[in-house]
Amino acid sequence: MRIVIDLLIAAGLVFATAGTLGILKMPDTFSRMQAATCISTLGVLLLALGGILYAAVMMHSAASAIKIAVIALMVLVTNPVGSHVIAKGAYSHGIRPETKMDTDDLGRDFDE
Amino acid sequence: MTDLLIFSILFAVLAILCVYRLMKGPTAADRMVAADNADILICCAMILFSLFSGRGVYLDIALICALFGIIDTIAVGRYLDTKGRFRHEDRD
Amino acid sequence: MQKTKFSAVAATFLVCFVFWVLLDFSFKAEELLAGAIVSLAVALFTARFFIHEDAGWFLNPKRLFSLLRFWCVTFPIELVKANVAMARICFGGCRDIAPGIVKIPTELKSDYGLAALSNSITLTPGTITMEVTEEDGRNWLYVHWIKVRETEPEAAGEAIKGTLEKGLKEVWA
Repeated sequence: MRIVIDLLIAAGLVFATAGTLGILKMPDTFSRMQAATCISTLGVLLLALGGILYAAVMMHSAASAIKIAVIALMVLVTNPVGSHVIAKGAYSHGIRPETKMDTDDLGRDFDE
Repeated sequence: MTDLLIFSILFAVLAILCVYRLMKGPTAADRMVAADNADILICCAMILFSLFSGRGVYLDIALICALFGIIDTIAVGRYLDTKGRFRHEDRD
Repeated sequence: MQKTKFSAVAATFLVCFVFWVLLDFSFKAEELLAGAIVSLAVALFTARFFIHEDAGWFLNPKRLFSLLRFWCVTFPIELVKANVAMARICFGGCRDIAPGIVKIPTELKSDYGLAALSNSITLTPGTITMEVTEEDGRNWLYVHWIKVRETEPEAAGEAIKGTLEKGLKEVWA
């Protein structure tokens, strides 16, 4: 059981590392946002799964398990709203990638 | 037991790496994305530390962290949006 | 301002009360009563901002079952696939990208369906919904895509939301 929990948390850590690398190295704002989604989906989900298993099986505390599930649910529900608002706000503020995007339907339809 | 502590420290290190982008990021949107994700990573580290130490109060703090992370994101996003709109009205 | 519907108030009350119970996690009668009163007050004042359509859809067992199947089978598969692709890009040095914004059509009409579809698209790494518009009686989504493979609206739509939309269409037409 310990091995399963450790594997789950380590897999979450791998995805969180991927997201952090993306935040650090991606070339423009929107791509950074895309990479950051990795952290808040599978990173948090796998970690929460491992945490729930640990709290339920090793600690026998249902309250902790449910609280971890609520945290994961909150992150999953609120994250898309946040990234949508930031992406739209950044675009309408005039932030564009340095290398021009090949297809930009939003700019074509709304700028002039 | 200790493995949870090690994972918790690794998540905290990832959050500190995000802070680098928070300081350097050229635009406000970059900074906001980095801050949001540092928040989520600290929340993860807090869950693991709560399981390690067996104290439930860290879970409550992590929950509040996750809940308040969205509010500043939406505030900054709306601010950027309105600023763009006013500037377009000036130009017309 | 629209008139507040009873089903909207009931749905908002239910969500508030379930969250109260989950956060509080004690089942004494006084605490449940306090939670019910607060949830009812919140629901009465805010339901008209949240729900504009009939909120009674989840009483239909067939649609509820389709939604559960979407959440437990269809969506996680897409999520894992997109996550693995994204992690591969990130560990490979972030060079293999071709970002762009494409416009895709969608068949869904209701507020619930559009919200669920655009949030699902945003939640899969690699795609972010940026805007929803309505033209010629159809709804269009502007999606930022990290690696643009198709630029035609229909083909790009099939690549981005193919299985997600099929799963959601069974729940909200």
